[in-house]
Amino acid sequence: MTRRRASDIDIEAARHVARMDRDDWSDAQERELRDWLARDPRHSGALLRAQAAWMTFDPPRPAQAAQFDTPERRKWLSRRNLLAGGGAAIAASFAGALMLGGGTSYATSVGEIRRVPLADGSIAAINTASTIEVKLDDAARHVRVEQGEAWFQVAKDKQRPFVVAAGRARVRAVGTAFSVRRRAGGADVLVTEGEVEVWADGAEGHRVRLRAGARGFIADDAAIVQQPAAPSAIDRALAWRSGKVDLAGDRLDSAVAEFNRYNQRRLAIADPAIAGERLDGVFRTDDPEGFAQAVRITLGVPVDLSDPAQIRIGSPAR
Amino acid sequence: MNVERWRRRAAWVTEHVIPHERAVRAWLARHASQEDVDDVIQESYSRCAALESVDHIDRPDAYFFSIARNLLVQRLRRARIVPIEAFAEIDAYQDDLRPSPEREAGGRIDYGRMLALIDSLPERRRRIVRMRKIEGLSQREIAERLGVSESIVENEIFRGVQAVQRAWRDGEAEAEARMNDDREQRT
Repeated sequence: MTRRRASDIDIEAARHVARMDRDDWSDAQERELRDWLARDPRHSGALLRAQAAWMTFDPPRPAQAAQFDTPERRKWLSRRNLLAGGGAAIAASFAGALMLGGGTSYATSVGEIRRVPLADGSIAAINTASTIEVKLDDAARHVRVEQGEAWFQVAKDKQRPFVVAAGRARVRAVGTAFSVRRRAGGADVLVTEGEVEVWADGAEGHRVRLRAGARGFIADDAAIVQQPAAPSAIDRALAWRSGKVDLAGDRLDSAVAEFNRYNQRRLAIADPAIAGERLDGVFRTDDPEGFAQAVRITLGVPVDLSDPAQIRIGSPAR
Repeated sequence: MNVERWRRRAAWVTEHVIPHERAVRAWLARHASQEDVDDVIQESYSRCAALESVDHIDRPDAYFFSIARNLLVQRLRRARIVPIEAFAEIDAYQDDLRPSPEREAGGRIDYGRMLALIDSLPERRRRIVRMRKIEGLSQREIAERLGVSESIVENEIFRGVQAVQRAWRDGEAEAEARMNDDREQRT
């Protein structure tokens, strides 16, 4: 049997929509439609598309617009509002108290990435689930990464050093660009432009300079580990600034951990045997389902999407 | 799926997916034949129809695109005509569908375009579609008013559905609107 062409299926779908558009829909027609839908998995898509296309001829109605205000839309709007207004103010009133003279606090929720222009002309890009505080005065520019990760494009100002604190770690820059990520046991610094100086608070005698393309880890015990990194590796690690996760031979378990930073819907590896599989590709941070589907195709493992709270990758271990 | 849910799902597709179909088609067409594109688009809508719920989808256009992309990758893999490296490139094209103010504006249905499309239909079809959609008459009422059989009305509606199906596939809705703009500028 030859596979039928999509355009032929479209014609049949249009016939069904025209018939459904009448007001004398009968049980016999219902059965006929069901049979037709069961005959080919593509039929339901063709019917949905034909129905939706036909509905684009409906005049826009205010009542209908309200009905379109579905839960996901409202959730999204309220999250937006929260961040734009009240939420940031509440976060500031909490976190602000921790700052010495009180600075400005910026917080992002899970999955949110914010770009914030600072008063001195610098720019901060704040990654998912992060809180930073910014305090600018005549003598210095202080930023504290309370939680999470941020990247800074620092405006040149020799009179006022730009110092980022993350736990014990300190990073000092004049005019340069770098990211700081708080981790368990220390902080990660990636330099994208220029040069920075890093040290641990209380161990000012041990300072290390990191140039563009370098990666440093400042441990809570004041040890500084320097790793040369290829520019491409730095770019990939900072792909979050454009809402992406960029994998190049990364392990499945670390990729899963990365996606889980951005999404309420968690990814879980059901089969430990595949945790070390290597993956390539660029994905949206907010599309764990797309990533899981790509893993399914690439590794040929099952993916269970039935649970709205988590996506399970691989066959459950028995 | 019951009728009410089906209608809501179709309304969701009308608002969030159909306006982006052309962009997704254009992207697919760079990697696949016209026949494959048509199949992938149809299968992508089938996935939308099969979804238990769409409440968790924040960005339906990106979602629809990733379904289509994955179906394409599957298809290419099955055909074994594309080396593995090409998949990285296929992923990278996601950038094309990132939200932007222009895209947001392009993602809304301009009803003026839809009216222009209705007006471009042959006379009897145009009258019937207007009576059905704009005046809100049922097919039976239209048949009575025009003194024709209901099956004639249904057949014109069928042709009307085909016209709007085609419009969203080929971008005629946009083309029609451009013509309309030209006309307005001339007058």
